[in-house]
Amino acid sequence: MAWSRKSAMFAALAIALYLLGLVLRNQQLVTVAVVLLSFLTYAAFRTTHADVASSGRRLEDAESDIGIQLQSIVAMRKLSSARVFEDGEIDVVLRIQNRSSLSKVLEIRDRVPEVMRIKKGANYVLMDLGGRKETEISYTIEAPIRGFYTIGPVCVRVQDAFGLFHNEREINLYDDFLVFPKMEDIKDALIKSRVPKIFTGAVNIRNPGEGSNFYNLREYIPGDPMKKVNWKAWARSGKMMVNEYERDAVSDIILIIDSRAVSETGPVSRNSLVYSTRAAASLTQYFLSRRDSVGLVTYSDEIVSVDRDSGKKQLYVILTKLAGAMAKGNTPLKIVTNRILPHINRGSPIIILSPLEDDPTIIDAVRDLRARNFDVTILSPSSLEFEFDARRLDRTGYEVLKTERDILISELRGLGANVMDWEPDMMLVTALAGARGF
Amino acid sequence: MADGTQDTSHLYEGKTVRSAAPSRKKAAGRLKSSTEIPKDAIPEIHVPSWIESFFGGPIVSSMKFLPANKTVSTLQIASAGVLLILAFLTYIITPVSGTAWFTIANIVGMTFLGGLIHILILVVGLIGGIYGIFQRDQRALLVSYVMLLLITLRFAGSKVEFGLNMVPENEIAQKVLLILYALFLVMYFELTSGIIRFSMLDTSIRTGEVYVMGEGKIISQYNRAIGITPAIAGIVALITLLINLIIPAIVGIFDDVAANRLSESVELTSVYGVALGTAMVFTVVAAAFAINLPLRIQKMREKQS
Repeated sequence: MAWSRKSAMFAALAIALYLLGLVLRNQQLVTVAVVLLSFLTYAAFRTTHADVASSGRRLEDAESDIGIQLQSIVAMRKLSSARVFEDGEIDVVLRIQNRSSLSKVLEIRDRVPEVMRIKKGANYVLMDLGGRKETEISYTIEAPIRGFYTIGPVCVRVQDAFGLFHNEREINLYDDFLVFPKMEDIKDALIKSRVPKIFTGAVNIRNPGEGSNFYNLREYIPGDPMKKVNWKAWARSGKMMVNEYERDAVSDIILIIDSRAVSETGPVSRNSLVYSTRAAASLTQYFLSRRDSVGLVTYSDEIVSVDRDSGKKQLYVILTKLAGAMAKGNTPLKIVTNRILPHINRGSPIIILSPLEDDPTIIDAVRDLRARNFDVTILSPSSLEFEFDARRLDRTGYEVLKTERDILISELRGLGANVMDWEPDMMLVTALAGARGF
Repeated sequence: MADGTQDTSHLYEGKTVRSAAPSRKKAAGRLKSSTEIPKDAIPEIHVPSWIESFFGGPIVSSMKFLPANKTVSTLQIASAGVLLILAFLTYIITPVSGTAWFTIANIVGMTFLGGLIHILILVVGLIGGIYGIFQRDQRALLVSYVMLLLITLRFAGSKVEFGLNMVPENEIAQKVLLILYALFLVMYFELTSGIIRFSMLDTSIRTGEVYVMGEGKIISQYNRAIGITPAIAGIVALITLLINLIIPAIVGIFDDVAANRLSESVELTSVYGVALGTAMVFTVVAAAFAINLPLRIQKMREKQS
């Protein structure tokens, strides 16, 4: 049983009045003190009476009683989804059962992560729950920022009618869910591999082969399928001509995400890491839909990589890694490139998503990549803008840092990398087109 | 999302990620002509005053309430009624003699001043209370509480004295009147804090922060408690205050002479008799808690139902 501030004040007042009453030999004060103490004692008596022994489990397991000690109050929870994208909504249903035969006035608070917004309903409910009855609490939360989250525990509180004393228990009922970074629809990333793999894919590589785009006309060679014969060209030239198509092929795309501590410069919902993860998610979806293989490398205080692969499963593997990317450490890009270079096919497109800050090895790393003929695209969300927008940087500081940044970007461009200074309000497609010089 | 917070510890396993790169801040800081820290760079932190630190939080709530609902209005009217009765009871059972202001006024030679201050304290307590009740202003209520307690601080010399002569001479009636006064005072504390509590709850309900299931039952439970609890507290207090009659009555079963001596004993009839009574009654109550009686009663009720 816990005391509230009110009960503590009442008790302190009662004791003070009692002692004063004895000192001043004042029965009036002693009487007030005795009445106050009696009032408190009865309220305490009533509250101790209210047992909140409780247990919890997931709603799906409601039928199974194995391992669950059946106690007075049971909570069960169900989430509409364990995986959502940023700004997505999750419906939470919390079922509360009162297994006691006595009615209880309960305060139930289902603890949700602080960053979540309650869209509908409430996670804090005050209820009168009759004996052997159950009720359902429903609410909807909106997940504004990617990450791994947990809902729970459920706090159950029973207090006396005056709010003097309460009994509280935490029901250890937890449900995890994952918030993936938001994805933008990309029509064309303008990125192709110079060294395509032999499998047929969706990337046009300007070599004749199996594909869908017209490449040129050539004379018929025995064995060519009749559907390739260009009847009009045959009629015009008098020679049997067939259409040749551009070869479509798959590429290996490597996404490198800068997840160092510096990448979270700016407000929580508007910083380089947020933009980078969203861009990486969008690009992954786009390249995988093109049947390319996509690999992911994130570097923070350690280097985490996801091997190149294709297919929908790979999308979720990468999204999960992106959801869990945390800003920490300060691993230089050069160490990352040295580590991954032996494992990447030469000429594969590499997309680096980094604020390009606080790393003196950037130039060396990009030079190395370009020397090995990698197609390097750098999308650099400008955290200067985030900080300036949030009024954390003054005008002079901003101008000077901006100039330094522009010099660095020019230097990288000079090495043959496609670099885009990605400003916060620019769409990913526009940033990509800008990086590729369109 | 908590407004204004930039703390990311909940996202990253308890580790707070800095929202600004140290190198950048350093660079930007060097570029400024003055070394003054920009105002927006300092997060707004509420530093609790020593009073708040002592009481574990603000004494008065800064929450803005929505217009009073039916429950709150009823409580306001009830509180105002209780306050009026309390003010009247305070006036009739609290004489000015023995108070500090009475003594000072006598020393100064302006006897009427003591009575004036006495009335003034009561009036301030009454007006502050009425204002606090209807404006739901906790500061005014606090002033009212202090005034209503301050007026009772007087040296009484173990005698039950009253401000008016119309009160009964009978000891039991006098003690019942005292208990009635104490009950109204406690009820006043409780009802006024109930106004604030239910106003907060109502505001939270209407802003969607809290959802209430079975609101009527919860309110009726409060109404029931506000009737039962003071009655029980009154009975316990009456037993405590009448210990100078109860003990001789019990002893009288065995020995009339001893009972007679006890009933005339100064220790029992004075305020120390009340202290003895309190010790005895609350020893019984403590024993009930020690043997976990409340839980046993609950188990018994559960079995019965």
